Amino acid sequence: MRDLPRRPLRAAPDLRHHRKVIASRPTPVAWLIAPAALLFVLFFVLPFAVMATMSFFSHNPVSNPNAVLTFRHYQRFIDDSAGIFHEALLSTLRIGLITTAIALAIGYPLAHWMARMQSRLGHALLLMAVIAPMLTGIVVRTFAWMTLLQDKGVVNTLLISWGFTEKPLPLMYNEFGTVVALVHIYVPFMVLTLTGVIGRIDERLEQAARSLGASRARTFLEVTLPLSVPGILAGSLLVFALSISAYVTPSLMGGTSVLTLPMLIAQQVGTSFNPGFAGALGVILLTVSLAIVVAYNRILARLSGQGNLA
Amino acid sequence: MSSAAIRLERVSKRFDGRVVAVDDVSLEIAAGEFFALLGPSGCGKTTTLRMIAGFERPDSGRIHVGGADITDVAVHRRDMGMVFQSYALFPHRTVTENVAFGLRMRELPKPEIARRVEAALAQVALTGLEARRPAQLSGGQQQRVALARALVIEPRVLLCDEPLGALDRKLRQQMQFELKELQRRLGVTLVFVTHDQEEALAMSDRIAVMDRGRIEQVGTPAEIYGRPRTRFVADFIGEINFLESEPGAAPRALRPERVRLAPPGEGRVAGAIETANFLGGSTLYRVRGDDGRLLLARETHAGDRAPRDPGQRVGLVWSDEDAVTLER
Repeated sequence: MRDLPRRPLRAAPDLRHHRKVIASRPTPVAWLIAPAALLFVLFFVLPFAVMATMSFFSHNPVSNPNAVLTFRHYQRFIDDSAGIFHEALLSTLRIGLITTAIALAIGYPLAHWMARMQSRLGHALLLMAVIAPMLTGIVVRTFAWMTLLQDKGVVNTLLISWGFTEKPLPLMYNEFGTVVALVHIYVPFMVLTLTGVIGRIDERLEQAARSLGASRARTFLEVTLPLSVPGILAGSLLVFALSISAYVTPSLMGGTSVLTLPMLIAQQVGTSFNPGFAGALGVILLTVSLAIVVAYNRILARLSGQGNLA
Repeated sequence: MSSAAIRLERVSKRFDGRVVAVDDVSLEIAAGEFFALLGPSGCGKTTTLRMIAGFERPDSGRIHVGGADITDVAVHRRDMGMVFQSYALFPHRTVTENVAFGLRMRELPKPEIARRVEAALAQVALTGLEARRPAQLSGGQQQRVALARALVIEPRVLLCDEPLGALDRKLRQQMQFELKELQRRLGVTLVFVTHDQEEALAMSDRIAVMDRGRIEQVGTPAEIYGRPRTRFVADFIGEINFLESEPGAAPRALRPERVRLAPPGEGRVAGAIETANFLGGSTLYRVRGDDGRLLLARETHAGDRAPRDPGQRVGLVWSDEDAVTLER
């Protein structure tokens, strides 16, 4: 109220001052995010900080007094004398990108259909169909894919008995089988994310485009698709993040021929007892995938003609 | 800009599991006419408009525009402009891009698109806002963009769904004048849907009053107001008194401005003013007759006569030729 004397006295209170007082005190609702913030700090920020710190030490600095600061874990990855590290990173990203692309291709039409469904019953049934697979664990679903795709599995047996092929097709213990199972597991995330965004697009926008002379296909490309970009972005990031960090499915479906970074990290921690190198691998994976995410965000934002989305 | 006549021929539309939305509607709208579809919500006016636009297909009946049967023509080939109540501006595009959309779909050369967009924006007084996004515009400005976007394709017919419904009162009145002026200048056939009887009376050349999927009456604003044909129309448009009539005789109705307030003892009804609604230029009185019935009377404030106070005893005077005989 310092500047009060300079102004004529009015019935209206000094709103500027008022707002400041309100803003300085957190609202009761703000306290509700405290548990989430605590969890985030405790189970993401803290572990990640520890992991990142460890990646720059020669030994565990807590238990080993001879530990020194070093860049050698990163050097080891860059040198890649065994010739597997770079391939593991590429394989991880390749699996992540292909899984995301296929999940988007399958999920978008499904989400569009679901978002635009008039019948409530139909919508509920479809939602159940999308969510139901999520009720069984990842391990169970991966084993189900193994019984389908292995050499003596359902698919190969059928293909051979119908005469399409003589020898069983290599459907698993490779990246193909890994991607198939990952797509199946993560498509619901894509669908649910997209349905929310597409459902919020005003149908009258599409009608306006139609009345202005756009065919159905043109309307989709000019209006519906650009407006669903935030959903495409969110869904893709979710599926990409989940599939590059997947461990169980690549291990089971990929067998010995697939090595992803999460599998490599598990090896370093579990059998090689080298948490420093594991930490370095984690930091590398995070950095590379963040770079991809930022690039993807830029490209989509430019394509849809909207400002920065995330 | 050429304009086209519209003819609806026994058009019906039923939505599954629900009552009939539009029930056997026939309608002739002349080329260049400013035509209102007026009625309460759920009366079928919007469905009728959407069938003309092509968003809904009639279950039966035919729709002709400019002499051609367009019932089976796809929306994007109908060449009609449409203005939505929510404006339906593309949020991811600028004002220019919104207005250019229809021209781009027609694959016109770029210089022509630029020229026509500029002219359309000038027409609705939006020059200078070309690079804005819809979210950065006021309601009235968004309304103009929607109008420019629909008009720039030079449609033969302009369809408006509650075009001014989202604006506040002052702005709405201003846009009423502007829209009417624009329509007269362009000569385009304009069909608009509204539930606001004042708006329909103020703007239209003719009005179709709809109720429960049917057309109750079609006529000029003066006809609709002065000679309502049915009880529904009389009641829906403005205020009205329904007069008692002999059993079996046609009902009769009387506008409040046809009722004169006289000193007690004069006139057909004696009673006391129950409430007085001051309306600025006039006051609407609700008078409780001594026989218990309620009548409305409107008195204009000539000179500086003050409104009468509730409780005052008055006599009500009217002449028989001012009463309208209704069909039902």
